Amino acid sequence: MGWISSLPGWARWALYAAIGIFVLSLVQTLTGETTELTSVGTSQAMLRWGVPILLAGLGGLFSERAGVINIGLEGMMILGMWFGAWGAINYGGWVGLVVGVMGGVLGALIHAIATINFGVDHIISGVAINIIGPAGARYLSSEIFSGYDGGSITQSPRVPGVGKFDMPFLAGGDVFGWQSPDLLGTIGELEIFFLSDVANLTRGLMSQVAPSTMVAVALVPISWYVLWKTRFGLRLRICGEAPKQGEAQGINVYLYKYYGVLLSGALAGLGGAFIASPELGGIYLEGQVNNRGFIGLAALIFGNYRPAGILMGAMLFAYPFGLGLRDINETASHTLLLVTAVAMAAIALWATSKGRRLDMVVAAVMAGLCAAWYFLSDTVPDWWVNILPFVIVLLVLFFNAQRLRVPAADGEPYRRGE
Amino acid sequence: MTQGNDSPADGSPTINQPAIELSGITKTFPGVVANDDVSMTVAQGEIHAICGENGAGKSTLMKILYGMQSADEGTMRVFGDRVDFKSPTDAIDLGIGMVHQHFMLADQLTVLENVVLGAEPTKSGGRIDFEAAKAHLQEVSESYGLDVDPDDLVETLGVGERQRVEIIKVLYRGAKILILDEPTAVLVPQEVEELFRNMRELKADGATILFIDHKLEEVLEIADSITVLRHGKTVATLPNEGVTASDLAELMVGSELPSPEITESTVTDTVTLEVRNLTVGGGGDRPAVDDVSLKVHAGEIVGIAGVEGNGQSELVNAIVGTVSPSEGSVFLSGEDITRRNVRTRRESGIAYVPEDRHHEGLLLSAPLWENAALGHQTKPPYARGFFIDRAGAREHTETIRAGFDVRTPNIDVSAQTLSGGNQQKLILGRELTSNPKLLVAAHPTRGIDIGAQAAVWDEMRQARKDGLATLLISADLDELIGLSDTIVVMFRGGVVATLDPSDVTPRTLGAYMTGAAIESDDRTDDLKGTP
Ligand SMILES: Nc1ncnc2c1ncn2[C@@H]1O[C@H](COP(=O)(O)OP(=O)(O)OP(=O)(O)O)[C@@H](O)[C@H]1O
Ligand SMILES: [Mg+2]
Repeated sequence: MGWISSLPGWARWALYAAIGIFVLSLVQTLTGETTELTSVGTSQAMLRWGVPILLAGLGGLFSERAGVINIGLEGMMILGMWFGAWGAINYGGWVGLVVGVMGGVLGALIHAIATINFGVDHIISGVAINIIGPAGARYLSSEIFSGYDGGSITQSPRVPGVGKFDMPFLAGGDVFGWQSPDLLGTIGELEIFFLSDVANLTRGLMSQVAPSTMVAVALVPISWYVLWKTRFGLRLRICGEAPKQGEAQGINVYLYKYYGVLLSGALAGLGGAFIASPELGGIYLEGQVNNRGFIGLAALIFGNYRPAGILMGAMLFAYPFGLGLRDINETASHTLLLVTAVAMAAIALWATSKGRRLDMVVAAVMAGLCAAWYFLSDTVPDWWVNILPFVIVLLVLFFNAQRLRVPAADGEPYRRGE
Repeated sequence: MTQGNDSPADGSPTINQPAIELSGITKTFPGVVANDDVSMTVAQGEIHAICGENGAGKSTLMKILYGMQSADEGTMRVFGDRVDFKSPTDAIDLGIGMVHQHFMLADQLTVLENVVLGAEPTKSGGRIDFEAAKAHLQEVSESYGLDVDPDDLVETLGVGERQRVEIIKVLYRGAKILILDEPTAVLVPQEVEELFRNMRELKADGATILFIDHKLEEVLEIADSITVLRHGKTVATLPNEGVTASDLAELMVGSELPSPEITESTVTDTVTLEVRNLTVGGGGDRPAVDDVSLKVHAGEIVGIAGVEGNGQSELVNAIVGTVSPSEGSVFLSGEDITRRNVRTRRESGIAYVPEDRHHEGLLLSAPLWENAALGHQTKPPYARGFFIDRAGAREHTETIRAGFDVRTPNIDVSAQTLSGGNQQKLILGRELTSNPKLLVAAHPTRGIDIGAQAAVWDEMRQARKDGLATLLISADLDELIGLSDTIVVMFRGGVVATLDPSDVTPRTLGAYMTGAAIESDDRTDDLKGTP
């Protein structure tokens, strides 16, 4: 298996994704209970759910690579959601996103001043932001949204979006009024094992998507490029790995930590604004961020502090949510139990090959439990898909903790000249 | 930055202008005067050594010259111009580069990234031109014979290689004035020779070098002139002519050095540590430690000689329990401890002086008294039952401070405020006063001044007399030969020779360490293992 680790990150993740889809289509075909596991609709829902998680994860990436732990992402997203809604209602969808970014930056500024200038513990400051964010948003709503038609202290009127489009050629979008062929749709309808499933899931990422979603996904390679290929990125990363060493080579560590935290807030704010946009909620509603900031952090850890991994983590966590939305008769979630059992069995085999006995036992027991649950029931309660993302995070931490590479000086206080 | 020139000359560097002129530099930290009215002049193109006891203020002075710390008082001139540095950037701009006492490298970055940081060649859009950077790095490394692979992660490098990366980092920016803070402390003799060759080459190219060193023979070998600091003050600046090591020592500590006493053997029959057929790593790669067996008796010091990276660190880690061996076992007083965790091993009487004091020895931001308890936190005087005994711990820390001459204003300051040598003395004090059965000491006197070194050696001899078994790893061959009862040479993970220190010289030992003596010496096989 050495060749896998020699692949570049994106290729490795693409391979893992392909294996995952293969398992999904295999189980789906064999059980014949549902077709939702690999439908276009599920994939669309997953993407919409995953984008805020992705943006939060990328936000965490910039902050923690600069050495500042940011558990305040949640609060920053809430501010982003409020400001995004306000901006969009007053000035239109695109402006809303920009104003949302500024809302997130506002929260980040507090975090930056507290942690970088005053040396406040990063966790404490983050918790404070998570308290200030919702409180501030509620106050602003009572002052502003309450006065709007259809608004109240906990919600805003409808928020306009930025439109949707289909990708030409691949998903049948039109080019200057001409309707292009729908390549993936055609393959999807052929119902070829695995191939059609891949086509459906891919088509879901390309049909009826908002341009803002495209921007969010494009931020993945952009983040990678900025952090690993530019001078800015190298200087930012040294602040998370070895700030003293950076200082000794003439880097202004404070400045780059500021950049990291503010960019983090900007991305979280964008994620918040996205939640308020019609892609998800379509209004500002209190509590709508619903822990996505924390799930974003989980995606960051899952992705081992790298952008491609964060994307995969965000989509993996969003998949059960997306599926839950589509799953009217609960057969799909039921089938997902069996998929989980297969995945755990695979982990058990992997652990055996590595000689990790405890891991093997835990994975095997969980595989057994999931399989038993599957065969002894016809449906599952809907909390199952809702807790699955959190279960995945725990599993990743359990099975993969030794391989995680946290930036070496993440969370450490820094003072110049000490 | 440069604040113009208040001397009559036009400011352009001329040959007779000194490279550096410091006058009246004073720097105080809470409770300590690190530099007290220091003045010195360094001529262009010379190698200038700075000597002094631990805590004399050498590193502080160099950091001021590099813009990392600012002086409270005094003036600095570089090539005749008055300067006032706000940050290292200002110093770097004037061509000053510094290699720090404790390495300044980011472990998870590549050599190339570490080197270019702060001086990155860029293309449009802030993109780093890695090709150009690599070419320049290779040019520098070839012209000085400093061999490194730019794509290696720094964490995979040994100390010698790290040292080279540090020097390349400075040369990469075209530094004209190099500051090297104890560059030889972590090097084995062959590497020191190589470093000195590089330094002479740099000097021939017109560079000015300031360097700090505690080994006086090395200073006398390479330096053109020598400045001695004591208690933050300049005692003297001398040209390196007709000066002897004892002259220097007397200037440094103010009195003559105690000469080490001759001691007789105290080796007993009780085996304290036994390592049996120990192998670490392997499985595809060459094992880091390859089937090593050795015994250390109570009252015995066994020295391990070897060029860095031949398995010594891994052997030590397997004994203290931070790595688990793939084969073989470790016995302490006859008990098999191979499967025990680090804490139970420490509790059963293993004292440990790690090779890297910053990574494994100290919590840099914790106060001294907490650091003194580190590794012994479950036992009196540091603990009473389940609880930390604050008063007891503090009292014991004071004992260590007095007994090992740890220079500090009080025991509540954080460990990072101690000078490098004083950090080392704190660790030694902590380990030697813990009543151990076995002491595993990696480079115990690294970075310690000659006076304190003699004192540490005395402590170790005294402990040996009281029945302590010691496993000593050192790059300092004189220390190995002078202290050990038996010397074991490690090469490529295996024990290649077991020698009696009374009939080896540093030269012959060096030959064994590089593997040169093995082919020519067929007695080696008989000597393999322990007597
Ligand atoms: N950041 C700091 N805060 C407080 N005190 C400090 C700090 N840095 C150095 N000191 C104190 O200043 C004095 C001089 O320290 P310095 O590191 O210059 O010594 P040194 O001559 O380099 O010693 P060594 O040979 O042990 O490296 C010491 O007493 C040390 O405790
Ligand atoms: Mg020093």
